Amino acid sequence: MISNIFKYSLTFIIVVLIQLLLCNNIQFSGYINPYIYIFLILMLPYETKSWLLLVLAFILGMTIDIFTGTVGLHTFATVFAAFIRPGILRLTAPRDGYDTLYGLSMSTYGLNWYLVYASITVFAHHFVLFYLEVFRFDNFFGTLLRVILSSIFSLAFILLLELTRKGK
Amino acid sequence: MRNLLNFLAKYNHVIVFILLESLALSLLFESDNYHNIKFYHKVRGITASAEKSISNYRYYWGLREINERLAMENTRLRDSLSMFTTRIDGGRRVISDSLINRKYTYQNAGIVNNSTNRQKNFITLDKGFKEGVKEDMAVISDEGVVGLIVASSNNYSVAMSLLNIDMKMSAKIKSNGYFGSLSWDGVNYRIAKLSEIPQHVPLNLGDTIVTSGFSSMFPEGIIIGFVSEFEKTGSDFYDIDVELAVDFKKIHFVDVVTNQEILEQQILEFRFQ
Repeated sequence: MISNIFKYSLTFIIVVLIQLLLCNNIQFSGYINPYIYIFLILMLPYETKSWLLLVLAFILGMTIDIFTGTVGLHTFATVFAAFIRPGILRLTAPRDGYDTLYGLSMSTYGLNWYLVYASITVFAHHFVLFYLEVFRFDNFFGTLLRVILSSIFSLAFILLLELTRKGK
Repeated sequence: MRNLLNFLAKYNHVIVFILLESLALSLLFESDNYHNIKFYHKVRGITASAEKSISNYRYYWGLREINERLAMENTRLRDSLSMFTTRIDGGRRVISDSLINRKYTYQNAGIVNNSTNRQKNFITLDKGFKEGVKEDMAVISDEGVVGLIVASSNNYSVAMSLLNIDMKMSAKIKSNGYFGSLSWDGVNYRIAKLSEIPQHVPLNLGDTIVTSGFSSMFPEGIIIGFVSEFEKTGSDFYDIDVELAVDFKKIHFVDVVTNQEILEQQILEFRFQ
């Protein structure tokens, strides 16, 4: 239990650092801003209490907000993603259900499952985030394009992270 | 009572969700126009030191280029200075007095934090109230217009970058003086859009776009960018792409411009609004 908390805290720090130092400086034509920190919400174990998940999401979003100089923006989107996570898990449940012995990882449930689970969560998170950021609906499809392209990039990064986790 | 408790127990995550989301939203809308401002005052102290050390590293790696630009700017300034200090009749030096009738004053500031990859980009400067930096002051660099101060604390201030979809400024074509409205559409950090230029105006690629001087903050004639593309649309106006003179990924130092007569102008104008 203690070692788990330590492990998650370490991952938290690493992922947040990657987000702030690497991903926040990525720029391709203004359409692609990957937000990979949502990986931390994806990786939490299945049996995490939903209120704890929300609180953790709040802390995560707040951290990102403070260091990117936005207020409440990432917090809102991350808490939203954490809120719909149980629903997505139920929706994508494998035939035998989830095994609480193992984490929610690609190595346990396979690439297909992970892709579906991660892409729905990432898309929902990015959707809320980008529309809240511009806070207007003119140029609706322009924003949608940013959501989709950024989601794809985030997903690629997240898959890489997930692969390194598998090695541990 | 028990029912209520059961209800709370069953839907505790929904309640936590609503609580946290309303907290996030209230933070987001705490100050009406610019999400960030109030929060900046509180948080600046915490993150500014970390940001400063990061920007120090960036600054170090960019030193060579900064030096070159400073040298170029020095040359240009010395050149323009020579206009004021020419020797006429027998070595008597005439120096124009810079203290009287001086509308704009400039002071240097360093950039602590800057972004270009969001829709609403802000720049944090290392000068604040203590140095007299206040809201509504213009921020320019040696290359051109950078933004506008929107908030300041004791030691820091936050400027709305030109790369912010909320930023709108008055701009004119240098060659013929027609003016329009310049804004950023959030796509490419090198390109802004100039609108409201009627289609009968002669326009060429590479035309210089400068500040119009109609706002009380920006001095007239500061370079904003150059026309990189234009087309006639169905309306009466051109659709003009302006390549920004300032590369926002490369700026380290800026000048904050103070209009000494801003109060006078605003008080006068206030009566007619």
